[in-house]
Amino acid sequence: MFDRVEAFYRPGTVREALRLLQNGKNRARVVAGGTDLVVEADRSIRFLIDITHAGLSYIRRRGKACVIGATTTMATLENSPAIRALAGGILARAAATCGSVQIRNMATLGGNLANGSPAADTATPLLALDAEVVLADARGRRKIPLTAFYSGLRKTAPGKALLIEVVIPALPRGGRWSFQKLGRTESDISLVNAAAGLQLDSKGRAKWARIALGAVAPTPIRAVNAEKLLVGRKVDESTLAEVCDQVAREVQPITDVRASAEYRREMCRVLVRRALEECAAGTGCSL
Amino acid sequence: MKAMEVRLNVNGEAKQWTIAPGDLLLDVLRREGYFGVKRGCEAGECGACTVLLDGKPINSCLMFAAQAEGADVLTIEGVAHGSTLHPLQEAFLDHGAVQCGFCTPAMILNAKALLDRKPHPSEEEVREALAGTYCRCTGFRKPVEAVLAAAGAKR
Repeated sequence: MFDRVEAFYRPGTVREALRLLQNGKNRARVVAGGTDLVVEADRSIRFLIDITHAGLSYIRRRGKACVIGATTTMATLENSPAIRALAGGILARAAATCGSVQIRNMATLGGNLANGSPAADTATPLLALDAEVVLADARGRRKIPLTAFYSGLRKTAPGKALLIEVVIPALPRGGRWSFQKLGRTESDISLVNAAAGLQLDSKGRAKWARIALGAVAPTPIRAVNAEKLLVGRKVDESTLAEVCDQVAREVQPITDVRASAEYRREMCRVLVRRALEECAAGTGCSL
Repeated sequence: MKAMEVRLNVNGEAKQWTIAPGDLLLDVLRREGYFGVKRGCEAGECGACTVLLDGKPINSCLMFAAQAEGADVLTIEGVAHGSTLHPLQEAFLDHGAVQCGFCTPAMILNAKALLDRKPHPSEEEVREALAGTYCRCTGFRKPVEAVLAAAGAKR
């Protein structure tokens, strides 16, 4: 399957990885967990650059932000006390649904994002968390919002940049969070997934809101119009109904072997409602 | 295509093999005679190719052999001590948890990784550990019982 690969590199630093990537031109590919790349079996690959030894496996606090190295595995995320405690544990919860035990021991956070799948389970909570990604290339490093990282179906930020880090900025005070996933089984690919973040004022009105969805558009998305509709309102039955109607208008699901567009659209309503109800009830996201 | 060398430990023995840079770990292990590592779906779904890499279960069909450089690999061939079976292997036999046997190495390795980390797991934790290994004889109940029994026996 990969019989045309001419060399396999395991750089010890990001700088070395970037040099190899540059030298390999369009025939070099970065590999970490391999759980998507190997299945994809792209026969144009001549050089593989394994970045799992490039010092990108870490979870750290930097000021008020939480930073996660790109090669941190799903298993590490789901078991990390820091990630389990962050935002009701929505990222840990999502990581824990990213495939079987074996897959989660291999698959990495950076890979889940860089693969560009609209169904990436970790992208949805990261969108709700206003996450940013740090990209490195020959010219240096730059930080962009995760929303800008995705440019289309399976398309991510252009050029020979390497995703090296995910940054989760300081969270709104008293934020409440939820992650919801609908799949054939707990660890199967998402038919639809949703994440929500909610901050309430002293009168119980939404002061700040985030609604993110996966597997219902060419990229993971935020339902920004639904968020706007929610802010300033009491989270009651009529608000929820309106917000969920708006979500259903904002998504662009497709029909495929796993589910029809109509079903996915309806499930967007259901999952966002569940997520916002969980946030409003303050029960948070349970692992 | 250029050949390269990979050095690793398999079942406690130091190995140095000549591989192609694009070789997958599954293919190399089978080429070297570890036939307990099964070739199933080759897409990370069925789990039959599971080995423990530094104690953690992974799908060897999704890992390049070059990535195992310096690692400790455990296959089903290394689980027994000589002619003495591992308690999990005994339990699988005692509970009739082996049907066609194709998924059994992966079931036992996944269970071993769980028990090494958590000697007294709940039934739910056992089910979670076995969920990445498909048994198409449809026999999940007995493997779960066997793992729980092995955990109890070790107590």
